[in-house]
Amino acid sequence: MDFDLPDEHRMIRETVRDFCAEEIEPIAQDIEDEHRFPAEVFDELADLDVMGVPVAEEYGGLGGDYLMYALVAEELGRVSGSIGLSFVAHTSLGAKPIEAFGSEEQKERWLRPLAEGDGLGAWALTEPGSGSDASNMQTTAQREGDGYVLDGTKQFITNASVAESILVKAVTDPEAGYDGISTFVVDPAADDGFSVSTVWDKMGLNASPTCEIQFEDCWVPEERLLGGEGEGWTQTMKTLDGGRISIAALSVGLAQGAFDAAREYAREREQFGHAISKFDAIRDKLVSMDRKIERARLLTQKAATTYDAGGDATRLSSLAKLDASEISREVAEDAVQVLGGYGYTEDFSPQRFYRDAKLMEIGEGTSEIQHAILGDELGL
Amino acid sequence: MKILVTVKEVAEVEDEFEISGDDIAEQYLEYDLNEWDDYAVEEAVQISEEAEDVEVVTATIGPERAEETIRMALAKGADRAVRVWDDDIESASYLDVEAKAELLAAVVEEEDPDLVLTGVQAGDESNGATGVTLAEKIGFEWAAVVNQLDLDIEGGVANVHRELEGGVEELTEVESPAVLTIQSGINEPRYASLRGIRQAQSKPLDVQTLDDIGLDADVLESPLAQTDLYEPESEGDATVWNGDAEETAGQLAEFLRDKGVVEG
Ligand SMILES: Cc1cc2nc3c(=O)[nH]c(=O)nc-3n(C[C@H](O)[C@H](O)[C@H](O)COP(=O)(O)OP(=O)(O)OC[C@H]3O[C@@H](n4cnc5c(N)ncnc54)[C@H](O)[C@@H]3O)c2cc1C
Repeated sequence: MDFDLPDEHRMIRETVRDFCAEEIEPIAQDIEDEHRFPAEVFDELADLDVMGVPVAEEYGGLGGDYLMYALVAEELGRVSGSIGLSFVAHTSLGAKPIEAFGSEEQKERWLRPLAEGDGLGAWALTEPGSGSDASNMQTTAQREGDGYVLDGTKQFITNASVAESILVKAVTDPEAGYDGISTFVVDPAADDGFSVSTVWDKMGLNASPTCEIQFEDCWVPEERLLGGEGEGWTQTMKTLDGGRISIAALSVGLAQGAFDAAREYAREREQFGHAISKFDAIRDKLVSMDRKIERARLLTQKAATTYDAGGDATRLSSLAKLDASEISREVAEDAVQVLGGYGYTEDFSPQRFYRDAKLMEIGEGTSEIQHAILGDELGL
Repeated sequence: MKILVTVKEVAEVEDEFEISGDDIAEQYLEYDLNEWDDYAVEEAVQISEEAEDVEVVTATIGPERAEETIRMALAKGADRAVRVWDDDIESASYLDVEAKAELLAAVVEEEDPDLVLTGVQAGDESNGATGVTLAEKIGFEWAAVVNQLDLDIEGGVANVHRELEGGVEELTEVESPAVLTIQSGINEPRYASLRGIRQAQSKPLDVQTLDDIGLDADVLESPLAQTDLYEPESEGDATVWNGDAEETAGQLAEFLRDKGVVEG
């Protein structure tokens, strides 16, 4: 078993880390305060070939594997949860399904601009009345002429207000349950009947737009159907295996960012004549933060490596997502505690990591749902 | 045209560190491309992007560990790399400027470049002498501390701005083949693109021994030896005044008078 990263992966991590420290970290709190999606950062990430890391080179991607993708997601998370979240939603939810399930024409038309970083991807499954229970989906797509008419509301869609394309799940056959769900590529700029009704103010991650979107008599041509009719649900399951690995990696990054801030602070801050890192209570906290991060990172990288080898990654990716998201919130909370009153102010980063980490236990399947998946995997 | 860029992997030290023996303890060191060399690589790559048929070759004296740093230069656009190292170099007690210049001169002889770019200095030892010593050895014209470069490839002339002491700038023409030592700030070094990093894995990186470049271990002998390493006592002493300008200006004036900086 080889736990060393390949040279190429290490160099890529190094470069992304440098970029993050120089170009993202200085603005990470500002963009939260301003609730501003930093389009300019994504342009720069596109120039560095980050936007298509795990997409094949023939469609404009980097041709990297999920291990590489996880490393990049972790580095982004280490400085900005918002940028990390918009990046992983773009990649694993917006772009990868087109590569996996699209026709050649669809890949040329819709995947290439995403992989090359000319636009952002998005993915719309959740609805106001259908979150954990996707079988209750109300959005419909009805045949009309040589296309489909979409009607319904999607909730909490990352990047929808800034997206080049959105993959939308809709019911094409109401009688068929999970087998009646299909996926459509929607072009927010061109398709009549599409609108963004809300961009939510959130507890954290405010530089990553989370939107409620509406489809009212929104006609799309039949070439926009991704894969076959009724394949939307099996596609979703496959998409989420990969997606969870990236949420796990992002969570590890958030935890690492919070830990770094806490460690640095604990070594500098003196009380009772000593650096607070010399008090057992703080020292033990930092040690257990480091322990949790290393553990979650190992699990995440194992899930990524298994996924890359083509094995069944459902259990590992769910375990990694569950563990990393929980330790991320715990580590970030501990980081706030290590900084005391300063940790509670917006002048220091731990509160930001704490806010951001909480989402990781909710998005792409809540922790409760991960437990349900894992129970099934264990045959319980 | 061929440009040879000398690049060094330097050790960078954390703010807090411990000295063990004659060196800084390994756990406090991180290795990276020398800052000035990053500018030299960028300058060479920019030239290769603007003109046809420019080959950029990097030359390094360094152990295997340095290969990742060298590959980073390849990822930023250099075409291939030469790394000089063997057991004799490894066991040399101190590699002085003279020895390094001798080794690099042997590489220049093999490569026959039109232009050699080096960093002004290396961030670890800060001798600031390798580039110019190399120029002397190979008999190239040279210009040190170059902060602007305008190359006339056809005419074989480099028009350079040099930064001299006290903010003075000099404009000079240097005929190629030439050695230019590059000052930081001459350009804005790029981040390696991820595609560049992937491509760099398969670019040629030749390892050459002393024997390969036609030298023997005698060149490593040095009259210099490092005898000690210690942290100098810092004598800095700062006074900070808080308050508005009205109040603090008076205090500053009094202080300067006290110290004899101004009279009256
Ligand atoms: C910032 C953000 C970004 C998002 N981005 C996207 C996106 O890009 N695309 C997208 O489609 N969605 C996105 N979502 C939606 C997200 O995936 C859902 O919010 C999540 O799946 C939970 O659904 P819900 O909010 O409807 O909660 P509910 O499903 O109503 O759950 C409420 C609570 O009940 C629990 N619960 C529900 N069912 C069970 C059960 N069977 N057993 C035990 N407990 C249960 C849940 O765990 C949770 O604690 C995003 C959400 C947020 C906040």
